Amino acid sequence: MNENVLNAGRTGSAGAWLHRFANPGRFLRLVRPALPWLAVFSVVITATGLVWGFGFAPADWQQGDASRIMYVHVPSAWVAMAGYAALAGCSFFSIVWRHPLADLAAEEIGPVGAGFTFVCLVTGSLWGKPMWGAYWVWDARLTSVLVLFFLYLGHIALVRAFDSPERGARAGAILALVGVVNLPVIKFSVDWWNTLHQTATITLTGSPTMYVGMLWPLLFSALGMSFGFAAIVVARTRAGVMERRIRGLLMARAQQEAGGRLDMAA
Amino acid sequence: MTHLTYIMAAYGIAVVVAGGFAVDAWARMGRARRRLAAIDPRGRR
Amino acid sequence: MTRNRRRLIVLLACGLGLGSASGLSLWALSSDVAFFSSPSQLLHEPPGPGRSVRLGGLVVAGSVRRTTEDGKPAASFRVTDGAAAVTVNFIGILPDLFREGQGVVTLGSLAPDGTFRAQEVLAKHDETYMPKEVAEALKKSGHWNPEKGPPPPASTWNTLSVPAAEANAKSGG
Repeated sequence: MNENVLNAGRTGSAGAWLHRFANPGRFLRLVRPALPWLAVFSVVITATGLVWGFGFAPADWQQGDASRIMYVHVPSAWVAMAGYAALAGCSFFSIVWRHPLADLAAEEIGPVGAGFTFVCLVTGSLWGKPMWGAYWVWDARLTSVLVLFFLYLGHIALVRAFDSPERGARAGAILALVGVVNLPVIKFSVDWWNTLHQTATITLTGSPTMYVGMLWPLLFSALGMSFGFAAIVVARTRAGVMERRIRGLLMARAQQEAGGRLDMAA
Repeated sequence: MTHLTYIMAAYGIAVVVAGGFAVDAWARMGRARRRLAAIDPRGRR
Repeated sequence: MTRNRRRLIVLLACGLGLGSASGLSLWALSSDVAFFSSPSQLLHEPPGPGRSVRLGGLVVAGSVRRTTEDGKPAASFRVTDGAAAVTVNFIGILPDLFREGQGVVTLGSLAPDGTFRAQEVLAKHDETYMPKEVAEALKKSGHWNPEKGPPPPASTWNTLSVPAAEANAKSGG
């Protein structure tokens, strides 16, 4: 493994363990057998949660069937935020331990996280119109989630904006870490300020203020979408590792050919 | 069912976006694997 | 100190600085971040005449009067935050979720007579989700009057079985 040789010289004790665990070659070997299972599991669980929520869970006494939008809106919001936390975690490893796999994973998390944030915003809008009476309001919860969407878009653009991938990854990592302040703002916006968006239904401190027949499909859908997000990111990262290897091989080959031609000319 | 258009649109957008990412990731993986096998027959992973 | 350790410490220091800076600025801006004012805030610091503000709170039980004005539906109701209440006049169609005891957010301005003239009324729903049967059972058994306040603690109803709740509601017990 040439990655091991490269990294061995400049890692501390914590870093060494991390590098051993997550070098790109080992990542590929570890992930290949697990990915189909992860994909099947997430599709089955998500489909169960969504069909249950759409067709079988009881409707809310006030909101009627519109409350069924919850089963896509809430999980996508959770995944969008958890995905950003994962992006920030990768950025942290990238900056402190300069890990190449963390850079690749961060680059692949960005678009998927933006996609789920988009789903959260659109489904929320489709829920807001019939219930609140407005597709969009500028309250602290909605605005902070829109900021999350822009942070994802900014990260996507920034990591691809440099000629050298390392510099792009560094700039993206800094943006991702700065954006972490937005996560507690999203979570607590409904408690700290007056918002049109309601406060949390599921809390650590109390019993969820949701009927159990609605809670189960929500948890299924959330679990399935979380694993689905993970499966998509792992698959994209795997493709990214292979693409990087292809680029490396092609470049080496081109250099060899150029060298050969020079020899012949001389 | 009340508000059926809103509900269908919400479920539809979620399925289309998540499914789109999944199909794209799968296709990208397959392309990369074939490409890698073509230029480096040793590097099968 | 290794380079990794130094980077880690610099990063944590930056995080601490950034976190406290954003915390302080959000705290300082909290009145601008708030989407609406409560009746107490509105009465305590009245906005300038004709200035558009948002007023939010719960609709007082028994205060809703629906009329028609020039052939259009109109409504008058009181909005409270528990400490103070403001009368709101609105011409237009109220949202489906509007009811006594429900949260609302209205956009409008304070008239010279102390009433609030709203151009827009949005319904604010709370964080409880319960099936109709459970809500009916709680109402019939006298555990909850939605017009008077929030539902009882969630642990008393969130695992209630729906057939049992229906039977309860039918027998009026």
